[in-house]
Amino acid sequence: MVKLLVVDDEQEICDFLREFFEEKNFKVRTALSGEEALRYVAEEQPDVCLLDIKMPGEDGLEVLRKIKRKYPAVKVIMVTALEAAEKMEEAARMGADNYIIKPLSLEYLENDVYKKISGSS
Amino acid sequence: MNYQEVLKNAARSMVRFKNPHHLLRMIARFIAKEVHLTHASILLHDSVRNRYIFIDSKGELKIPVRLIRVDADHPLIRCLQGKCEVRILKKDVLSLRHLDDILNHFHTSPVSKLEVQKIIDLMKALKASLCVPSIYRGELLGVLILGTKRSGGDFTDEEISHFQTLAHDAAMTIKTAAYQMELLERNKQLEEQVTEITRLRKKEQETYYQIMLSLAEEVREKDDSTFGHLAAVEKLGVMTAEEMGMDLNGKKRDVLIAGLRLHDIGKIGIPDAILKKEDSLNQEEWVIMKQHAAKGAKILAPLADFKEVAEIVHCHHEFYDGKGYPRGLKGDQIPIESAIISVVDAFHAMVSERCYKKGYPLEFAIHELESNSGRQFHPKVVEAFMSVLKTKMLGYYEARMHEIHGNNAIHERKAS
Repeated sequence: MVKLLVVDDEQEICDFLREFFEEKNFKVRTALSGEEALRYVAEEQPDVCLLDIKMPGEDGLEVLRKIKRKYPAVKVIMVTALEAAEKMEEAARMGADNYIIKPLSLEYLENDVYKKISGSS
Repeated sequence: MNYQEVLKNAARSMVRFKNPHHLLRMIARFIAKEVHLTHASILLHDSVRNRYIFIDSKGELKIPVRLIRVDADHPLIRCLQGKCEVRILKKDVLSLRHLDDILNHFHTSPVSKLEVQKIIDLMKALKASLCVPSIYRGELLGVLILGTKRSGGDFTDEEISHFQTLAHDAAMTIKTAAYQMELLERNKQLEEQVTEITRLRKKEQETYYQIMLSLAEEVREKDDSTFGHLAAVEKLGVMTAEEMGMDLNGKKRDVLIAGLRLHDIGKIGIPDAILKKEDSLNQEEWVIMKQHAAKGAKILAPLADFKEVAEIVHCHHEFYDGKGYPRGLKGDQIPIESAIISVVDAFHAMVSERCYKKGYPLEFAIHELESNSGRQFHPKVVEAFMSVLKTKMLGYYEARMHEIHGNNAIHERKAS
């Protein structure tokens, strides 16, 4: 079973994405903060991580850097609002595997996640 | 539960909403709560990017606002726009049950099946059993995404028809609100443009006025060498107007002052040979000289804000009894400002020293004004002017007379 970690500071987004991917037989965990996400990554390395770039506390870029330093095999897809899209270059330099811009199309989201898994296998 | 009544009330309260988002939120809340659905949410058309975005969601499963989009070319959207190959709408709405039927029981092409499957997938991801389009004049403005009834069971035709009414009213309201916003925006732009134009025009007028003032000084210097003539005329004119109790608030003071400063501007068009002639003018030369009043008005004509000033300049050689020039106006036909200019200018010209003459004695000037009151001059202006002269200005003019004629001259005249 593919392990997916959804990191977003909004509970609704976590819930929705969890439901969406559980339907498709993913094993989904959610984290509301960078700290929580890093704990989960350390415990049980996920295959793919959907990481919101803008979060209070430790922001997405910082979390990305920490994940990639210790667990480079974890595929990280950054999620960003259009206004922050310029940060994506930085994210790419820091090893982000892909990025998607909110509002996202569910079809593309699913495809992106599948692509990352097949790329890694 | 009486749907009819509840929906009617909802439709009525819609007109109160000016912001369509507030309205749509109200609709989603209303459907989820009053109609007892698992959830209800709203996809709204984003016309800038041509896609549909969730702007509100209510119920057990909330769809996060602004997280998900549905592209305009998604089969669900195309289908609700009536652009799909197969007829999969039933009574103009998308129902999950009906889509399943199509997939399982009807013979459709593989391409269509794929599209139907995509719609089903999306509806399932959104936990929707019914999608109701909000259409205004053929334009799909939004979609009501509806979950299932908590009581279980299918929607009845009557219920679906009520949702359609709601969606239709919502579309109208969205469009009205959008028009209003557009109008407001356009109004704002127009207002800004008008302000800018007004500013530029004012600046232009101001520049023109400044040029006129320099010209007026130039003319005065050519005409007579008395320093400060314009300043003195202006001061006397304003004091006389105040003495008369004239209302000089705001623009009226500016108009009077501009008239006092610019009254001889037309002399710019009079040949120097005439203007500077020391001997008295012959008849031909007088005809030309008299043109300066009308010429002055013509020069000022481009100043839209100075229409009154132009008229004042035009009339500053008219006589109270109608025997002046250029038009022979009389009495109240002559602007009071022109009447004031006529008096102060005449007085100042008489007492001033010119290159070819010494000024007339003060008493002579006063006698001239008084004896011409009601003929050349407006009696009320003369009266006010005399009062100003005697109470405020006499000391000044006596000092000037003293400079010009020497002590003796004044004493001689006073003695006589």
